[in-house]
Amino acid sequence: MTVQKNILKVGKAIHRIDARSKVRGAEKYASDYYGQNLVWAGVKRAGIPHARIKNIIIEKTKNLTGVISVLTYRDIHGSNRQGVIRRDQPVLADDKVRHCGDAVALVLAEDQAVLKEALDLIAIDYEPLPGIFSIGKALEQGAPLIHEEHPGGNVLLKGDLKTGRGEAALEECDVVVEGYFTVPYQEHAYLETEGGWALLTEDGHLEITASTQTPFRDLAEVAEALGIERESIRIRAPYCGGAFGGKDGITVQSLLALAALHCQGRPVRMVWDREESFIAGVKRHPGSLHYRLGAKADGTLYALSAEVYYDTGPYDHLGGAILALGLEHAGGPYRIPHASIRGWSVYTNNPVAGAFRGFGVPQVAAAMEQTMDMLAAKLDLSPLEMRRRNAVHRGDKTPLGVTLISSTGLAECLDAVAEHALWKEKERWKASAGSSKKRGVGIACVMHGMGYGPIVPDYANAKIELTKKGAFRIFCGVVDMGQGNASTYLQIAGDILNQDMDHLELVLPDTEKTLPSGSASASRTTYTFGNALIGAAEALKKRILQRSAETCASDPNDGLTMVLRPGSVFHPPTGKEIPLSQIVRMLDESERISVFEFRAPVTQERPTEDENLRLHGIPHRIFSYGVHLAYVEVDELTGKVEAQRYLAISDCGRIINPQVFEQQIQGGIAQGIGYALCEDLVVARGKIQTPNLSTYVIPTAMDIPEMESIAIEKQEETGPFGLKGAGEIAIDGPLPAIANAVADACGVRIFHAPLAAGRVLTALEAKRGGKEVKA
Amino acid sequence: MYAGGTDLLVRLRKNPVNPFPLVCLGQIKELKGVRESPEGAFIGACSSHASLLSNPIIRYAFPVLAKGLQVLGSPPIRNMGTIGGNICTASPAGDTLPPLYVLDAVLEIRSQNAVRRIAIKDFIVGPGQQRLNKGEILAGIWLKNDPDFNIHHFEKVGQRNALAISVASLSALLKVSESGIIERVRLAWGSVAPTIVSPTNVEAALKGHFLSKDTLQKVMPLLREAISPIDDIRATAAYRRTVAGNILLRLLASFPYKEGYGT
Repeated sequence: MTVQKNILKVGKAIHRIDARSKVRGAEKYASDYYGQNLVWAGVKRAGIPHARIKNIIIEKTKNLTGVISVLTYRDIHGSNRQGVIRRDQPVLADDKVRHCGDAVALVLAEDQAVLKEALDLIAIDYEPLPGIFSIGKALEQGAPLIHEEHPGGNVLLKGDLKTGRGEAALEECDVVVEGYFTVPYQEHAYLETEGGWALLTEDGHLEITASTQTPFRDLAEVAEALGIERESIRIRAPYCGGAFGGKDGITVQSLLALAALHCQGRPVRMVWDREESFIAGVKRHPGSLHYRLGAKADGTLYALSAEVYYDTGPYDHLGGAILALGLEHAGGPYRIPHASIRGWSVYTNNPVAGAFRGFGVPQVAAAMEQTMDMLAAKLDLSPLEMRRRNAVHRGDKTPLGVTLISSTGLAECLDAVAEHALWKEKERWKASAGSSKKRGVGIACVMHGMGYGPIVPDYANAKIELTKKGAFRIFCGVVDMGQGNASTYLQIAGDILNQDMDHLELVLPDTEKTLPSGSASASRTTYTFGNALIGAAEALKKRILQRSAETCASDPNDGLTMVLRPGSVFHPPTGKEIPLSQIVRMLDESERISVFEFRAPVTQERPTEDENLRLHGIPHRIFSYGVHLAYVEVDELTGKVEAQRYLAISDCGRIINPQVFEQQIQGGIAQGIGYALCEDLVVARGKIQTPNLSTYVIPTAMDIPEMESIAIEKQEETGPFGLKGAGEIAIDGPLPAIANAVADACGVRIFHAPLAAGRVLTALEAKRGGKEVKA
Repeated sequence: MYAGGTDLLVRLRKNPVNPFPLVCLGQIKELKGVRESPEGAFIGACSSHASLLSNPIIRYAFPVLAKGLQVLGSPPIRNMGTIGGNICTASPAGDTLPPLYVLDAVLEIRSQNAVRRIAIKDFIVGPGQQRLNKGEILAGIWLKNDPDFNIHHFEKVGQRNALAISVASLSALLKVSESGIIERVRLAWGSVAPTIVSPTNVEAALKGHFLSKDTLQKVMPLLREAISPIDDIRATAAYRRTVAGNILLRLLASFPYKEGYGT
């Protein structure tokens, strides 16, 4: 009897396959290439936020020994524009620079030292233009335009959504609360900064290996921007050393391609250092939000007005889609019959904001969930009870008026919180605070849409090959940026094909080998590709068993009786076992390969007739849900807030690998704690004042408490093995849960994140001062 | 000339030096380790923070220094960085400095032909500035035993719990009588002035009084006179000013005796 214990099973917690090679330092990332005869490429950045370029002075640089080439926009023969929806970002600045991090010239050099010297020698003659450094300034009448040709002026995208009677219904509420919130930038701060390498082969093929979430989309962007044939480009995407959305789109790809075209067949490498990653990379959108929320006296939510402003920097970079997702989630996971939800994504000369885990939702969740607590307090309801009374169930409509037709497990999450010891024992814990400490407990409910929305096709193509050696090779078309989806794919294939790890192989995304499967983003990676993979695996399994039956069993229709075993096919009635390496010989080359396409379902409802908003992703059909609970302790002497315990209860459907799932949730919480408490990108007149990890403070393990993650595992009928997306939802909860906990602890609410010590101490002092006045 | 290189590494990345005239003292045996002497201890300047943290003499005789070392940087920095380096870097945010000030550390400076001793407060003269002459190295630190103190306190306020540059810190040694009277007191603040601040007038004002919130509140104006914090990317001067005073109140929680005092 074959040993079956190592067969991969869905639902089993297993170590991810990349763990060992990553821990040992053996895994090669895009930025790990140091080949022979290497050319080093680097970028001259604008350094000023807004100016017309009069002249780029490169002669001195060109003559420097060791410099191979200095390239500017004049060397680009395509559109010189990149972007996902609105292509407004130049590869190399031509007429203007629009933020300090704009790329102006590309230098190719023999080594790093020459490269640095060469970049310093480039001078740019500017005609400075007035800069726009705030949303308010950008929206002023007659404000200088960042993109003169954009019909919306400095507004990249505007959304105006209304359900029921909208904000007018606030007047019919018994209780209304109002809050103005601001949320900060957030830096992705991945271990692996943006980077990669490229090569122009002898036959004219451009091969790019990059740290990217979007190899297939990059192809089209690079081709158009540089005016080269898409067919002549190949992009490989190894594991990323973190991405979180910051590599959802072009970073180094076009620059590397341009460089390779001027390297006479030598490989060229470019990796941004940490400061460059800060200055040129994208960030989470900072924003300001104005919320008014009203309820009836019994605590039933009745009307919402939400105004959301996001600073997108000078380029789209998904900033429109991010606003749209923010607007869709602005009212949270509640039944609110009347809502006015308006939003503006605004061009400025600040750093570029773009995709970041959460994609516009953490900002609105911060505002909505704090407003919920304010309303609960006014109604004298517990925060949990307030949410239980208004939580969406399947079949309810969202604040956008869209019916929730997929699995909806928020109520179960809330029940689980109510039953949890951390909720039941919170008063005792709060009462046992030490001297000069205040303790508070906060909760937040979150929902997160999955996939691209109604218009942009959300599909994946899975491919499996039975190799001549009798193993299964999984062609993974969607990037594993660290979240572990590649492992999950092997687990899915292993479960269906009844294989162990020894008989499974993985091919990471490569536009020449794997099939287009969309981006690693939008909490859709495992859902969409997983569904495609199930189709491909089932079809291949059927074919193998059928063919085996034809050869080894008497009855060719006996395929159903045959079973797959690791590396073999087994026929229980006869006890016959044939190695797959033998079966493979009976299959034609094309039959060894199975391909299946899955396209995610979308909702048919149209909450808006604004086609542009629909294009930008409104509305979604499938949502994950969660309830987060935070225990915080506030130091009255310093204002320092410490998260001391954390609980996340999630409805992300069924779980394929509980270990990988828990890592996703914990990673989201940790990143969310940074967002809530200490990460503060300081930008002054468009220039980042904290361009490194010494001044931009992300939490370390010492700042992250014990985290408990519970999955309620409600089946999503359309999901692979019942799964829904889990990549983003965990970052939506920490800021509001912690802010609510701080308000609970201090008796004063801080409307501006992060809740850094200085801000908290000021609020505590103001409160103390206020009390003294009253006394 | 350097010892552990933890500061140098950062500086060199910003301003590369070429050629590299670097002399590492870190591996000289004579400059490492802790030696007990009748009146105290001698700490070799090139002892790593981690080695001191696990040294029983430091832990038991000079707990206030151990408390400072405990929150310095992170494990890798504590493994590489040295106490001598922390002193010579002379940053007002150096985590070992406030403890060394309250311990009245005396530094042993050596050159080819001479040995001299200087109090730490006279050695450090400004941010990054100390009185190390050409041809001299810091060989070690003399600490005197003083078992008299019964409160050994160190607090660092930073933007996170590890790998943080102190925004304000306080080191305190107190002898408090059973009845709650402050009989002796040494205080030193970090990150609130160009150098460590150890105001004798604040100490004098506390001496002879009950360790209580009132007593501590009363010296706040003196303290705020003594410090001159700056605004920087980590904190505002106003925050540092407030917190420098506030963290003095933490001493109340350290008071080891009868309940009722210190409230």
